[in-house]
Amino acid sequence: MRQLSAGVATLEGAELRYGFVNTQLRALVGEQAEGQRVIDQPGRLPASLLAILPQVYANGVPYVAKACVCTPQLGEQAAQCFDFALDPYHDEQGNLSGLLLLAVDVSEQEHARQQSHELVTKTRQLDARLRVLTETAPLITYTMDAQGHYTYASPQWYRFTGQNPVADLAAAWPLLIHPDDRLRVLYEAETARRQGTGWNYEYRLRRFDGEYRWMLSRSLPEVHLPDAPAYWHGALTEIHLQRELSEARRRGEAEVRFLADSIPELIWTATAEGLIDYYNQYTTEYSGLTKDELGPTGWVGLLYPEEQAEAARGWVRSIASGAPFEGEYHLRRHDGTYRWHVIRAQRLADGSGLRWFGTCTDVENQYRLRQVLQTQYDELARAHHDLDTFVYAASHDLRQPSLNLRGLFEELRRTATFTDPEQGLLLSMFDQALGQLDTTLLDLATTVRTQRQQQEPTESIDVELLVEEVLLGLHAKIVQSQARVELQLCPVPVLVYSRANLRSVLHNLLSNALKFAHPERPPHVVVHSYLTPDGQPVLQVQDNGLGMALDNPGSPQFRLFARQHAHIDGTGVGLYLVQRIVSSQGGRIEVASTVGQGTTFTIYWTQASPSA
Amino acid sequence: MVMLGGATGTPPSKPKRLLVRIVLIIYYPSMKHILYISRAVRPLTDEDLQQLLDQSRRDNARHGITGILFYSHGNIAQLFEGEDGIADNLFKRISVDGRHTHVIKHIDKPITARSFNEWSMAFHPLEPSGFTALQGFVLPHHMPPTPTSLAIADALLVELVRLAVFGPDPSTPYQQAFPTLPRS
Ligand SMILES: Cc1cc2nc3c(=O)[nH]c(=O)nc-3n(C[C@H](O)[C@H](O)[C@H](O)COP(=O)(O)O)c2cc1C
Repeated sequence: MRQLSAGVATLEGAELRYGFVNTQLRALVGEQAEGQRVIDQPGRLPASLLAILPQVYANGVPYVAKACVCTPQLGEQAAQCFDFALDPYHDEQGNLSGLLLLAVDVSEQEHARQQSHELVTKTRQLDARLRVLTETAPLITYTMDAQGHYTYASPQWYRFTGQNPVADLAAAWPLLIHPDDRLRVLYEAETARRQGTGWNYEYRLRRFDGEYRWMLSRSLPEVHLPDAPAYWHGALTEIHLQRELSEARRRGEAEVRFLADSIPELIWTATAEGLIDYYNQYTTEYSGLTKDELGPTGWVGLLYPEEQAEAARGWVRSIASGAPFEGEYHLRRHDGTYRWHVIRAQRLADGSGLRWFGTCTDVENQYRLRQVLQTQYDELARAHHDLDTFVYAASHDLRQPSLNLRGLFEELRRTATFTDPEQGLLLSMFDQALGQLDTTLLDLATTVRTQRQQQEPTESIDVELLVEEVLLGLHAKIVQSQARVELQLCPVPVLVYSRANLRSVLHNLLSNALKFAHPERPPHVVVHSYLTPDGQPVLQVQDNGLGMALDNPGSPQFRLFARQHAHIDGTGVGLYLVQRIVSSQGGRIEVASTVGQGTTFTIYWTQASPSA
Repeated sequence: MVMLGGATGTPPSKPKRLLVRIVLIIYYPSMKHILYISRAVRPLTDEDLQQLLDQSRRDNARHGITGILFYSHGNIAQLFEGEDGIADNLFKRISVDGRHTHVIKHIDKPITARSFNEWSMAFHPLEPSGFTALQGFVLPHHMPPTPTSLAIADALLVELVRLAVFGPDPSTPYQQAFPTLPRS
């Protein structure tokens, strides 16, 4: 009996004193139990068992108590669980003489049972939750077996399709798929089933109102290795609107791209971060680079190197602030030539967020036109200025003869006698006319002088730069006459002059050199500057043109309206002006010329360079 | 096999030039730089960043990888440069790194010279005190301007991803970001 894994004890007599107690039971009731009454020495026996003992003895009927919890053993944590059996036994005479107590430790079984109970409860909860979710979520859930039959569809399916809940799911479902999609769907589902994989496809399903709606069907097999899957569980989501939207966007995008690709203008789009993700066809044609070669910021590499940093800064500024981007830049064409472009970009919100839309418009032709207009404007401004100077000079120069006239007239009136009274009238008229002439000249001179005093501050001027500027203005003429212009401007003089006046001087000399060209040869003009031994800056303009006859080359007198070559357009004021301007600044002009060979003008500016 | 010498009468300059090229390739392997952007799978903690900084700095120094990594609020961008094979390998490793996704490569181009002389990381730690003294760590608003040796298109790209990662910083006017080329 001692080897039993169960605890055994005899409880003897009506007093229920411990008789035999095996080791296992001693662990429950204590080492010194034998001979004691159970009531006095209950050990860890549960109270419920103790309470029932006298009854069992009185009734003499066996009793079993299952899964009774006993307080834990000293030093142990978990409470122990026992099944107790009480068996009355009799003496030889057949009189009841005690109870046999059997205690089997069922802690583990009980633990397992409790766990499984918890599991069941939990499963039930999960099940309920799953049901609520599957039946309330805005999607249809379903199960399909290995033969391809739908065995379950959540209530949403019936609501969506309007099918009777008792309808034959397996038969009805395929018929509700749009005829154009049906074969594809059946084929794809079958392929997936055969391979034991899941699927993910879209098709149109007929709604209760007869309209077909796009659905996304996704499913996964339920796998219990090593068996082949027997069920596929999946969900069906309506994606009709998304699909129509993306369809519309795709169509819209395709249309926009087509338009963008057919326009001979550089068009591109960029992400909100400023990275270009689309260049139209023309951009690749213009640049000769593929979209990959251009890359997300490659456009900046197409600009003039000097322009790139500024453009990059502007672009980053726009991306950071969202402000539109605009600038004029040279853009390199595939053949290496640069053309002026206006680059503009603007941030707009399209369906999927913020994006940048940009264009580069070729304005080279406008730019050229603008340049031509600018040169013409400059020439007009110069002519205007020349005329002003001329009027001023002429009025000034004519005042002396007019004063002389007045003197002569006074003399005449004093000495001559007039008898005819009509002659007296004539005299007073003459007097009046003279007065008028004088005031007019004076007014003229004052008007122009006051105007010009505001316009003409003097400044330090680099003659070389100004010569280049003037030649730029004469570019068309130079090209047209195939002239060769040579500059030998060292040391380059810096003069303090009115810019407009100096420009007039240079323009007149250079344009004359081109204008009075010899018909038999293209003009060759040499502009030469040097310092005289005493440090005076000198400028020489030498041509190989018609030349002219001179009376006094050392100090030539250019008279108003004196024109050497009547067949060539001109006002005859040019050289007159040059001389006046130069001499008003204290300088002088010399001319050397041979008819038929050419002319050389030499200007002594007289002024030593002040800024050096 | 490269044939040297002129038994066939071809001028020797061609094979010689080829030889020079080969020698150059062996001793001066060609270099490239790679720029990508990505998203962290979940926000990186200071410890994550520190760990990445330590490991990358150690490995990059060993492999001659230089460059810069930007991190902010899960946004990542990195420009690194190195020898072709090494850079390609690194990118392969980085692109499968489980810490981030949506890795998009924006530049992968040969370069003739490095623009960075070390590898560093710029981010805003939650606890900046522990980082400021660390080798290879820079606070985003202490970042040096984009190196002038980068082509402006590349520098622009770096600027744009820096902007995308950190957002506009009013204290950094963008005037400094690009060098103005000297007029030739
Ligand atoms: C955003 C990011 C950037 C990284 N940059 C580098 C780097 O520059 N250098 C490097 O060695 N590892 C870098 N790593 C780590 C690599 O992905 C990889 O974990 C590391 O090289 C160790 O690879 P291994 O375990 O295959 O040796 C980076 C990881 C991430 C997520």
